[in-house]
Amino acid sequence: MVFISIGYAALTVFLSSCSAGLPVQVESHKPGHVLATKYSIVCVIHGDGDYIFHDTSGNEYKADDKALAGAKRIAQQNPYAEVFIFHQKPRRNFLFFFPLQDGEFYYYRNGQLIANELYWRDQKQSQLDPEAVLYHRFRTENQLEMVSIFLYYGHEIPQFGGKGYDASYPDRAFTVYDFTIGLRDFTHHPKRFDLLVLSTCFGGTPYTIDAVGSFARTIIASPDNLHLSYFDLHLLERLDLSLQDGDVPAFAKRFAHQAFKQLTRNIQTAVSIAVYDADRVKEFLYSVRRVYNYTLTTLKGETQEFLATIEHCDCADLPEYVLPTMNKGVDVFYRPARFGRSKNKQNHSGWECLNVKPQEATFSDY
Amino acid sequence: MQIRIAFGSIIMMFVLALPSNADGKGELQKYFSDTANKVKSTENASEKRKILSESFQSMSEALDKVQNSGMISKVDRIGINRFKATLQEKRDELAGSNGYERVSDKDLNAFSDYVVQDMEQAAEMVTISLVALLLIIILVVLIV
Repeated sequence: MVFISIGYAALTVFLSSCSAGLPVQVESHKPGHVLATKYSIVCVIHGDGDYIFHDTSGNEYKADDKALAGAKRIAQQNPYAEVFIFHQKPRRNFLFFFPLQDGEFYYYRNGQLIANELYWRDQKQSQLDPEAVLYHRFRTENQLEMVSIFLYYGHEIPQFGGKGYDASYPDRAFTVYDFTIGLRDFTHHPKRFDLLVLSTCFGGTPYTIDAVGSFARTIIASPDNLHLSYFDLHLLERLDLSLQDGDVPAFAKRFAHQAFKQLTRNIQTAVSIAVYDADRVKEFLYSVRRVYNYTLTTLKGETQEFLATIEHCDCADLPEYVLPTMNKGVDVFYRPARFGRSKNKQNHSGWECLNVKPQEATFSDY
Repeated sequence: MQIRIAFGSIIMMFVLALPSNADGKGELQKYFSDTANKVKSTENASEKRKILSESFQSMSEALDKVQNSGMISKVDRIGINRFKATLQEKRDELAGSNGYERVSDKDLNAFSDYVVQDMEQAAEMVTISLVALLLIIILVVLIV
């Protein structure tokens, strides 16, 4: 009986510790020493998938844990920033039956951890609703005057479908459209994010950049595959020094270049990072929107078996995308894979397309 | 019928014996990462080639066996076909066949890293179900 009571008490304490918002640390600045908040950084880290990778010494890492550590470093080392970190986790149960919350939120201001809460994510269509609620609960008032940065770290965000993006929640869907709904809820109209970093595979498709371009002025993404060691975050530490002049597009190029240098040092597969000026790429996107959307519409009706055969390619390999405006507003850092069929490919347009063979979908039929 | 039950039970035992946090893709990655470590731990280029070649061979055999087992879905079959094609490309490049320039002796360590990284981001792995991945792992362990 005593054991049952102790067990019950332990269970109650455990469950209660997992269910409510728990401010871990209270702001510790002394009165009169309040620092200005000039930068607002939102970081969403998806961690419910196959995120394991190995370095060249054979050490195993979890990409989301590594990204989380990097995000915390940014948060702690930026005295003039507020940083929101959302870690999206896999399904876990306590004692097989009691589901545990699948999101963890951290809020830092002026380098200090202000809050750390567990939360429930959207259970069906994931449009970052709970994340946006937390964001609005903690954000400071002067958002329109701040430099705003949004970071997303995860697998390729599907352009359609999206079920199974979360390995442990097969019914939960997440697509580029859902992501843009989420972005909308984080923005302060008419202001867009100054910088959006999409640290995912195949983020540089015409559809994705077109969709997120309404919510960000400058976008950094990888058009091709991106290794799970992701983009290096070090340049985001001490923004008061690295972004002193407030020139976000120039900073974005430095960030992309640094990430490129870091990736090419250790990675033998292709490395591609592009910086998109959301306004300047509009002309190209407008020209190819119809043809690209046609491809997506065609694929939406296809079977899972067929979709498994679709491959990506540089849009420059498809004649209908080779337009004079293709390179306008895009800066590309590219190095081909050191081995494989494409090892001699010297350039990348910065735009990634889906290579649907002519017999499967022909634009001329449209 | 009894054979199927017995085979299923063996597989279940293997699955349950895997660490609780293990996922199929992670285990496959580990297989290639271990191969890369073996390649890098020897100085002899012929030995390096042999390690890589045998690793590809064992994986190919496991993929064939899983594909012929009749226990996987059509989508898995397509994913495994693509995986096999990716693996074949690596074998061809190592050997310098099918239009590939042979990987030079001095590049074998880098090539072994390339194999690990390419497999870690291979799209076909995403389409292969956990059950099929676990079957592949079990068979690779039995073959090696």
